[in-house]
Amino acid sequence: MKDIIRSQSVLKEEIIERINKQIKIEATSSSAYLAMAGWCDVRGYDNCAKFFFKQSDEERGHQLKFFHYLADMEAEATSPTIDEVEHEFSSLKSVFEKALENEISVTESIHDLVRLARKQGDIATEEFLRWFVQEQIEEEFVARKCVELFDVFGNEKLAIGMIEERILSIEYDGGE
Amino acid sequence: MSENLAESHTISSREVLFQTSNASITQCDAQGKYILSFNQDQIEFRACELISFRRKIQKIDLTKLLASDTPDIEIVSMPHCDRLFVFTIQEILELKDLFAGTFAMLELNSLIHKEIIRKGALIKSN
Repeated sequence: MKDIIRSQSVLKEEIIERINKQIKIEATSSSAYLAMAGWCDVRGYDNCAKFFFKQSDEERGHQLKFFHYLADMEAEATSPTIDEVEHEFSSLKSVFEKALENEISVTESIHDLVRLARKQGDIATEEFLRWFVQEQIEEEFVARKCVELFDVFGNEKLAIGMIEERILSIEYDGGE
Repeated sequence: MSENLAESHTISSREVLFQTSNASITQCDAQGKYILSFNQDQIEFRACELISFRRKIQKIDLTKLLASDTPDIEIVSMPHCDRLFVFTIQEILELKDLFAGTFAMLELNSLIHKEIIRKGALIKSN
C-alpha cells in the first residue's frame, strides 16, 4: 500500500493549525498598525504615520510568507477574519507603547511555534521559522527604541517634533 | 455501537483502512485518493481534503449539540464535491471513530514506509 498521505501532505495537523493561527496574528498586527498609521496621519505626525504604514506592510508580508509556506507544503492555508483593532489612543507615546506590546506578543507566539516544531520533530518548519526569529529581534529592537525616544525627549510639542525627525532613521544593525 | 476492524482488506489497488458498522475508508493507490463509504454513499477525497473533513468532524462539540434547543443534527459541507451532509449524533460518533481508526492506520503505514521501505531502499543503493 502506497504512502499517499506522506506524498500529498507534508506537515502535521497541529503544525498546520498553529501556522494558520499565526497567519491570523500577523494579519491582525497589520491591521493594528494601519489603524495607528491613520491616527498619526490625521494628527499631523507624518513621519510616525509613514513608520506605521511601513510596519503594516511588513506584517502583511509576514502573513503571506506563512500562507505560501502552508500552500507549498500542500496544506490548507486559511485567509483569516480579522477582529476589531484599537483605533483610539490617548497620546503618541501610547501608540508606540502599544506597538511594542504587540511585537512582544508576536515574538512569544513565534517562539511557541518553534517549540512546537521541535516537539513534533518538524525540522523543515523549524528551519523556516529561523527567519522569523531573527526578524522579531529586529522588530522588537526598533519598537523599543521608538518608546525610548519619548523617555529621552519627553512628550512636549518640541520633543514630538524631534521624535518625528528621528523616527524613520531607527534601524537595527544586527548587533554590529 | 460500531464494530472496529483492525485489519485491512485488499481489493485490487484498494485497501480498506478502517471500517465501522455503517462506514469505511478505503485507500486507492491507482488514483492516489481515499474513498469514504457511508450510508450507501461513496465520496472521494484527496489527502488534504480528507484531513480537512476529519478536522470538521473532530470540531463538532457533541455536548453543546445535545444541550442546545435545536435538533440534534450537524450540517457539514464538503466543498470539494459540492455536497452538504446532515449528520445525527450517532453518525457523528461513528465518523469520529472511523477517522481515529483510519488515521492510526495511515500513521502506521507511513511509519512502515519510513523505517522499512525507504530506509531499506537507501541501504540497498549504498
